[in-house]
Amino acid sequence: MKISLQRETIVASLQNIIGAVEKRQTIPVLGNVLLVAKEGSLLMAATDTEIELQASIEASVDEPGEITVPGRKLLDICKALPDESVIRFDLDDQRMRITSGRSRFLVTTLPARDFPLSDSSNEGVAIEVPANLLSDAIRRTSFSMAVQDVRFYLNGLLLELSNQALRAVATDGHRLAFSTAEIEASLDEPIRSIIPRKSVMELGRLIPSGDESITLWVSALRLRVQLGNVTMTTKLIDGRFPDYNRVIPVDCDKSLVIDKALLVQTLSRASILSNEKYRGIRMKFEAGRLQVSTNNPDHEEATDELEISYDAEPIEIGFNVGYLLDAFNRIETENVRLLLKDGNSSCLVMPLDSDDVKYVVMPMRL
Amino acid sequence: MSTSRKIIHIDMDAFYASVEQRDNPSLKGQPVVVGGKPDSRGVVCAASYEARRFGIHSAMPCSRAWRLCPQAVFVPPRFEVYRSVSQQIREIFQRYTDRIEPLSLDEAYLDVTYSEQAGGSATLMAQEIRREIVQRTGLTASAGVSNNKFLAKAASDFNKPDGITVVLPEQAEDFVAQLEIRRFQGVGPVTQKKMQAEGIFTGADLRQRSLAELRQLFGKSADYFYNIARGRDDRPVESDRERKSIGAETTFETDLSDVPQMLSVLNNLAESVVGHLQRRELCATTLTIKVKYSDFQQVTRSYTDARGFDAAADLIACFPWLLSRTEAATRPVRLLGVSVSGLKSLDGMRQLRFEL
Repeated sequence: MKISLQRETIVASLQNIIGAVEKRQTIPVLGNVLLVAKEGSLLMAATDTEIELQASIEASVDEPGEITVPGRKLLDICKALPDESVIRFDLDDQRMRITSGRSRFLVTTLPARDFPLSDSSNEGVAIEVPANLLSDAIRRTSFSMAVQDVRFYLNGLLLELSNQALRAVATDGHRLAFSTAEIEASLDEPIRSIIPRKSVMELGRLIPSGDESITLWVSALRLRVQLGNVTMTTKLIDGRFPDYNRVIPVDCDKSLVIDKALLVQTLSRASILSNEKYRGIRMKFEAGRLQVSTNNPDHEEATDELEISYDAEPIEIGFNVGYLLDAFNRIETENVRLLLKDGNSSCLVMPLDSDDVKYVVMPMRL
Repeated sequence: MSTSRKIIHIDMDAFYASVEQRDNPSLKGQPVVVGGKPDSRGVVCAASYEARRFGIHSAMPCSRAWRLCPQAVFVPPRFEVYRSVSQQIREIFQRYTDRIEPLSLDEAYLDVTYSEQAGGSATLMAQEIRREIVQRTGLTASAGVSNNKFLAKAASDFNKPDGITVVLPEQAEDFVAQLEIRRFQGVGPVTQKKMQAEGIFTGADLRQRSLAELRQLFGKSADYFYNIARGRDDRPVESDRERKSIGAETTFETDLSDVPQMLSVLNNLAESVVGHLQRRELCATTLTIKVKYSDFQQVTRSYTDARGFDAAADLIACFPWLLSRTEAATRPVRLLGVSVSGLKSLDGMRQLRFEL
């Protein structure tokens, strides 16, 4: 294998796929990036066997071939070379020689046949969606996914696709994020997939924010998305996501609209002295004002107050302030709507102008 | 041994089933099975005395109970109610002593050695407690009174239901001598068979064996058997405040080999464990299941969640995964246990969860 290419081209694409390189590296080849040089192009791939990222770039290929090289080192070397430099790759016996100007590197390789590249054919049904709708849905919900929960189906994002709507839902059991957007599609039946957490993060990073169409290939076992010159293929979580409709409250009889920035500032100030682990905060809604207070095991205390337009019966409720701030910070309108029932029932947070985004937060018992 | 202790063992009579009969009078006098549906893979949590006459007992698959007694009324368990009754009973105990060791929602040891109520008479205290339980809950309990846990428990079993048995220290040897070994705490179906094969049917038979012989037969358990055959048992009543973990377990008469049935057993055990947690306003960070296979090999599997477990649903959600890490799907199982540890006080604010 003998190829040469431009530093900026390879660095940009390596950065796009490096997230899939296995960090723990229990299987050595998973720490490597696959390089496949064909006439005029270089295909690079990284995988941890759950998510696979491939990038295809232009290259001048003197001698085709395929090999794997340590992914992190390859990226670090290419990044460290001067701007605009041309980088040459020659396979020298068992090692890859990387040269540019007077810099030269010899790195170890592993055979390409050891690399678990996914089946290249597209599986399942194809659906086209505007990139920005998927990107918004991920941004609005992914923060609520569980982390290493034993209920493995919560360690991911539920993506529901029908002929009318694209829905994303995530929950860790304490809070839930829901987002829906109108789309037009012609599916034979709706799709419900749980995308693993890491793949959601990579997808959120790679997806363009414009309204161009992207194609999703979805089967029962995997999802493939073409994002510019990058192809992402991810396994799906084989489990049943809970019925989120049961969690979104419908019986909140107290509602109010609050200036989001003021609320976020007030909560952030008080949260400084909340218990570091549980981050509990008390909120007392009463006629015309919201009182916020917190304390911690060191007997430190904070209280704050905010004028609000509220005339329902007073209610006192506790929350993990982090969960509230996470939700408020994803809302794009200046004002937020809060819907409450009582001190032991969940709270619904929504933007002012639409019901398309909903955050449900379970309270803390005071 | 130090000065003689006064131990009471209180055991509610057919607890879950009696609560159901109390709350639904049409069930009175009927064979009642608390547990899964008859055609389900659930197991029996409890059976009324009427149902027991058909050979139905707890931890039996519901399908088998149904075959034994097709006219039985199957009702789903209402653990919330059982826990609240359990709490009422505990409040009664607390008027007599703070040294209370609950064994489950319906059973507890009380150490009343230093209690001065009823003139310091453990027998009178046990009678008062039984009377107060009836008054407060409408349910009956049986009591055993003696100078140690083994004798108190065997005694409460002696006059069931709605009875009391007192075993004075000087009566201990005679009492144990006539007891069938299946009535001994710690003698399960398998040990029972082994003892019977050795010609041991009663306490008297057991007593004739030397410690060396017993050690050869029963290994680690030999010392315990040797002592109880003589009516001796030095185990203290451990109030749950002192315990670092809370657990419950069930041994099956017939080994289980059906995973859904095992999950159903674990779920029932979780309800009991959570009852203890909630009563003490604790949450636990580690959940452990214990699986003993038919060949007595035993494994445990644990899961730790720093956010803490305090609801049965939290535990139940973990069981399929924990059980899948054992060989329960391919090897018959004779015992299942659930315990929680890493106990933390719930004082202060507590995060609530969705019912997912």
